[in-house]
Amino acid sequence: MTATGASAAPLRRGQSRLRRIESRQALGFISPALAGLTVFTIAPVILSIVMSLYDWPAWGDRTFVGGGNYVDLFTRHPDFWPSLRNSAIFTLLFVPMNLAVSLTLALLLSPRIKGRAVFRVLFFIPVVTPMVANVLVWKMLLQPNGLFNGLSTSMFGIELPSFLSHPQWAMVMVVVMSVWQGMGYNMLIFCAALEQLPEPVLEAARIDGAKGWRMFSRITLPLLSPAIFFTTVMTMITSMQVFAQPQLLTGGGPGNATIPIVMFIYDQAFTFQQMGLAAAAAWILFAIIIGLTALQFSAQKRWVHYEV
Amino acid sequence: MKITRSLAAMTAAGAALALGACGTQSGSGSGSDGDGDDTGSGASITWDMWAGSESDIEALEAQLAIAQEENPDLDISLQHAPWNDYFTKLTTNLASGNVACVTSMNGQRLSGYHEAFMPLGEEELATAGIDPADFTEGSLDIMSYDGELYGIPYDVAAMLVYYNKDMFADAGVPEPAAGWTFEDFDAALDGLGTDGTAFGMGMGEFQWMALPIAHAGVQPVDESGALDLTNPAFLEASEWYASIAADGHGSLPPSASDTGWGEQEYQAGNVAMAVDGTWNASSYLNNEAGFAAGMVDIPSVDGERLGLVLGSGYGISADCENPEAALQVLGSLVGEAAQDQIASSGRSYPARISSQPLYFESLDEGVQDEVQAAFEAVFTGLEGQRSTDDWAQVNESIQPNLVTVYTGQSTMTDVLEQTQSQFGD
Repeated sequence: MTATGASAAPLRRGQSRLRRIESRQALGFISPALAGLTVFTIAPVILSIVMSLYDWPAWGDRTFVGGGNYVDLFTRHPDFWPSLRNSAIFTLLFVPMNLAVSLTLALLLSPRIKGRAVFRVLFFIPVVTPMVANVLVWKMLLQPNGLFNGLSTSMFGIELPSFLSHPQWAMVMVVVMSVWQGMGYNMLIFCAALEQLPEPVLEAARIDGAKGWRMFSRITLPLLSPAIFFTTVMTMITSMQVFAQPQLLTGGGPGNATIPIVMFIYDQAFTFQQMGLAAAAAWILFAIIIGLTALQFSAQKRWVHYEV
Repeated sequence: MKITRSLAAMTAAGAALALGACGTQSGSGSGSDGDGDDTGSGASITWDMWAGSESDIEALEAQLAIAQEENPDLDISLQHAPWNDYFTKLTTNLASGNVACVTSMNGQRLSGYHEAFMPLGEEELATAGIDPADFTEGSLDIMSYDGELYGIPYDVAAMLVYYNKDMFADAGVPEPAAGWTFEDFDAALDGLGTDGTAFGMGMGEFQWMALPIAHAGVQPVDESGALDLTNPAFLEASEWYASIAADGHGSLPPSASDTGWGEQEYQAGNVAMAVDGTWNASSYLNNEAGFAAGMVDIPSVDGERLGLVLGSGYGISADCENPEAALQVLGSLVGEAAQDQIASSGRSYPARISSQPLYFESLDEGVQDEVQAAFEAVFTGLEGQRSTDDWAQVNESIQPNLVTVYTGQSTMTDVLEQTQSQFGD
């Protein structure tokens, strides 16, 4: 299409009028989404910041306390530090175990073996099964009159510890159950990444004589590093937000041995009706997650290889 | 632009429909949430109650029908939520200033919610047509806080020791009888053995606390309403309770999330004794495990037994705009006809004395006399439960620590002292 100099100005005016109409229409179309975002995301976020600065019971008088809730959490609350510690322990145990297990499964399933789709589905089933059902099964396995202890005593005559009522074992079992429950998700990501590995690079490496562990550590792993980075970041975020597993499996106990920070927030808000304190703890968790994520992004330059 | 406008209108209509559909409401009412908006004849009153199953809802609707029949000029509707969600929903309703005029309340939780209810004086009771003398002695304490009455109980309950007759017979241990003592209780434990099947350790509030309270003869809240978990007598009695586990008599909860451990173990036929409330009497008698169930009052110390009267009732919300109409509904819900209906269904033991015989008549003939004898023993000489404003939190805080006590990782004294220092004055 060509335009003469004389007709260029009216055309621009026409174009800008059309653009205005189109942008108004676009605004009209996205307004329900924008309204939803404002009502259900932006407003609650702002409200939670305000809430964290108040002594805010579920009902009754609210009083402004400034940073009082934050000070209370760090200096006086008996369960805050243990809950942060528990979340940190869970994350430190869960993230490496989850990545190792899901990567191993993906590697085992990556060759074109018969029936690998079936295995993928089998390993993915715990991810889509409701958590309550998963926990019920694990409870039946782990309790003193459960399957594990029954097998151990009948076959070897060894009495296993009461896993869920022992402080250290309870946390280990929360991690183990979570790894079993969540491994399928990262496994699928790794399977997809393994199938996308550049064949020429792999072939060149093979011609150069690379195989076995050397092939894996020097070629496959660096090529997988973007996928590993993605799964590390996402798994770290979800593990800092763990709630359902300890809530249902151990009730946060024994004592406060398995209360993670999100369960602490839930208890403060809905059991103890201290909305302000809960909001302050939620913002502390947000700051920790943002900090850790930023740290991972800044460290990725050292080990993530995007270019082939 | 026309499209944009109609899209916006449709979105608004859709949102209104979706938000309007969030509540669960049934009954004869118009469905309006704004109860008490009207005054006098034709006023609409909402009644908020917990209900966990279709049969619960049917029973409530039968009571609603009675209240509606007795108050034809009012428009009464029922709002319900499952027990586990009820208090979360109530808290949300309170936070948003949208509490039903007639709101059900559990006696043990009243302390934390008393500000939400209207105090009921003589004038209010007269409007509701309620004579306190018609109710079980001490039952009005259930719905009282700091000497002020905030509601009328519809049922009364007390803690009992439930026992498995078959397991007692197998062990050759004589069954407990009304008026038994703690020496008898200890002897029964010894006779039943140390393989963890004698007694189901409690995790719930009174499921564990009822025995220490009776043993110590004191409540863990003193007469001034201050938390008194470290009262030496209560501490000693609690240590005695923990020793049931340490001595191998108790079945230990495998996880802190097993909040109903002792009762579950009893119902499954795994333990010979457990402590639970009278509200479960009929379900234990008809247990699926198929054992012969018995019940007896909490043991005494030299014939002196401290038992607490528990239960639930209905109150009028403090900001109800039409308290007079709400009081009339309340009067009907705890009136003779509604209480007879509760009793004859066997669902709970009514607070109104004249309706109580119907409860026993609803049970199987073979167990009627035994249950009646146990209930008569347990409902004498009770006193009202004292609690602090944060009583529910105190219990939530103790619960996960009980597992560590039962498994010997900490002591009852440590747990109670720590809770006292956290919640005490």
